[in-house]
Amino acid sequence: MTIKVRFFARFRELFGGDIVTAVSPGTSFMGLVKEIAEKNPEGYEAIFDQNGAFREFVILMKNGKRIDCARATEIPVADGDEIAVFPPVAGG
Amino acid sequence: MIAIQTEDVDIGQLINAAKGRGVGAIVVFDGIVRDDDICEMELEAYEEVALKELEKIAAEAQAAHHLFSVDIVHRIGRLAVGENILVIVVSAGHRKEAYEGSRAIIEAIKAGVPIWKKELTKDGSRWVPGDHAHGNPHGQHS
Repeated sequence: MTIKVRFFARFRELFGGDIVTAVSPGTSFMGLVKEIAEKNPEGYEAIFDQNGAFREFVILMKNGKRIDCARATEIPVADGDEIAVFPPVAGG
Repeated sequence: MIAIQTEDVDIGQLINAAKGRGVGAIVVFDGIVRDDDICEMELEAYEEVALKELEKIAAEAQAAHHLFSVDIVHRIGRLAVGENILVIVVSAGHRKEAYEGSRAIIEAIKAGVPIWKKELTKDGSRWVPGDHAHGNPHGQHS
C-alpha cells in the first residue's frame, strides 16, 4: 500500500515536505505517522508528547477531512490515502 | 470568485462585479500585512483542502446571511508589509446582512482553513501561532 503523508508549516520544515511511503495492510494512522516521525527526533518531539500521544494542538487529516487525534490508533490507512499533519492554522 | 493565489487582487473590480439588482450594501474586508517589526510575511496553504473549505464557508455564509455574492481571495507566497493577504467582498440587500456575513466569513477562515503565516524579521523568522484546535474535527468552521 502506498500512502502520501503531507506536513505543513513548521512540521514541513522539520520533515521536509511530502513523504510517499509503503506500509503494510492494517497500519493505523497513528502507526504510520509514528513510523515516519521516529526517524526524525526533532520532528517526533514536535508532534508527539512524552507519552507517545499526539500533542493536543496537532491537527490530522485523511483525504482532506479532519480526524480526531484520539481515534488515530483505530483509523486504518488505505492504499492511495493522503494524510496530512499540521499545527494550528493561522490564515486570514 | 473564490481563490488562493500568489497574485494581488483588484478590489475595485470585485466591488463593481458585486453590484447588481437588489444590492444595497457591499462590505469589503481587506486583511493586510501589518508592520510588526517584520520585513516580509510568507504564507503557506494546504491548497486543495483550503480552497474547498473557502468554497464551503462562502456557500454557508451566503445562505445564512442572505448574501447576493461572496468573493474570497487569499494570497500565499511572500508578501511585503502593507500588501493584501485576504480580500473578502460580500453584497447584500442591506448593511446588516453584509456586515454579519463578512464577519462570519473571516472568523470561519481564521478558525479552520489550513493556511499558515510565517513572519520574516531581520533576525530570522517565526511562525504566527494559530488557535489550538485540540485535534478535534468538530473544531472546524461551522
